[in-house]
Amino acid sequence: MKNTIDTVINLTRRNLKLKYKNSILGYFWSLLTPLFYLSIFVFVFSRAFGSVENYPLYALTGLIFWQFFNNGINQIINSFISNAGIIKTIFVPLKFFPISAIYTELISFLLSLIPFTFVMLFFGLQLNAQSLFIFPYLAIFSFFILGIGLTLASLNVYLRDVSILWNTLSPALFYFSPIVYTASFVPQEYLWILKLNPLYYFFEGTRSILYHGVLPSLMNLGITATLATVAMIIGVFTLKKLSPGMVSNL
Amino acid sequence: MMQPKIEVKNITVNYYSFNKGINSLKDFVTGFKFLNPFERKKVLEDVSITVYPGEVFGILGRNGAGKSTLLKSIAGILNPSEGSVVVNGTIAPLLAIGAGMEMELTGIENIRLIGSLLNYSKAEMDAKIEKIIAFSELSLEELQRPVKTFSSGMVSRMSFSLAVADTPDILIIDEVLAVGDRGFRDKCLDRVREIKVAGSTILFVSHNFDEMQKICTRGICIEKGKITAEGDFQKVGEYYKSLFK
Repeated sequence: MKNTIDTVINLTRRNLKLKYKNSILGYFWSLLTPLFYLSIFVFVFSRAFGSVENYPLYALTGLIFWQFFNNGINQIINSFISNAGIIKTIFVPLKFFPISAIYTELISFLLSLIPFTFVMLFFGLQLNAQSLFIFPYLAIFSFFILGIGLTLASLNVYLRDVSILWNTLSPALFYFSPIVYTASFVPQEYLWILKLNPLYYFFEGTRSILYHGVLPSLMNLGITATLATVAMIIGVFTLKKLSPGMVSNL
Repeated sequence: MMQPKIEVKNITVNYYSFNKGINSLKDFVTGFKFLNPFERKKVLEDVSITVYPGEVFGILGRNGAGKSTLLKSIAGILNPSEGSVVVNGTIAPLLAIGAGMEMELTGIENIRLIGSLLNYSKAEMDAKIEKIIAFSELSLEELQRPVKTFSSGMVSRMSFSLAVADTPDILIIDEVLAVGDRGFRDKCLDRVREIKVAGSTILFVSHNFDEMQKICTRGICIEKGKITAEGDFQKVGEYYKSLFK
């Protein structure tokens, strides 16, 4: 058990070192990317969404969490393939790789959250006791990401198309989620389509905490916790089902 | 009767490959192949070996005969679909050259990472790292460079040192002595003998027959996934040589 933690920590540390190796700006990229997008969206959409109060903060409280989701999935989806050398030669439980992948992204996200807090304060974030709830909420979100990631990563070992398909679909998912627009811009009769997207509920939650300054509703917590649990169950099941042939397909 | 270190009983190992490609994607959906998406290929069939403490067990066979598959099943990397593998003790696999190493990280970082993957705790690793570095004969300054700048000989020194610096219960050597200069190779063989004397078990796969002959006591020959000769290494060796006549 103790060695398990050691191993996951060591893998996470390696991932973090590799993540920004050979790049000059290093970890600042995890800051610059959302800020770059933010400036585009503020420039393009602030007129269209002028009625949204404090649009930059609204967009930002969605964007950075989208970034976390997207980076998390990308890190996990290739976690078996990029560790093929290890998996084929040393007996290491397969689940260590996706777990250390989500830790990697969680740590780099938490680090980027420090400067982002200042950026959000600049755009009018009101910090209060409820803001701290973002951390347990992130834990639920991480479980959701890990669950989805486990499924995709396991499939990706057999069909490399999965990660390519993901790269193609993720921008669509971005616009399908209320990140740079509000749900109120969607006509009432089509709102149910938006609500089919699990991410809808997670962004609703992060917005309540950081944009509205209140705790997410019990309803929202119930839905997101259920989504995370279901995603984890499917992910663990898929990994279990697909693991017998994994070594020979890596 | 001594308790065997490794007991492999009638194992059959399959490789599963996935039916893929555009042509089979149609079959995949229309032929309900997704219910059973794997294509099986038997790599080992009904293989049994028993290895006792203090033995150096050589495994001979042509490329693709299933030698590495057998080692992987013993190490727990592959699960046999039939039969059982019982291992009494901890296994230190001698990694294929550079396997598991991250080229961008330094030598020291890699030693620590692989150590923890081999299930050494941090405290154990702290105790071992001096020995590992000493055995490898690499300088600290060299080990603080990224592994991508290492020569293949240096990488194999690291791999070997990781596995043998401490005396493992069971050592698996798969085709790794080939690189490295003469001096280091002799040092490695000496070390393998020491480990054997200490009562550990060694599984040895190599295509360097002379090297194997020097240290192996018993062995098997595998052909197309089946054991075709077993027993005293000299005899198995003669049988193996006769295959090429």
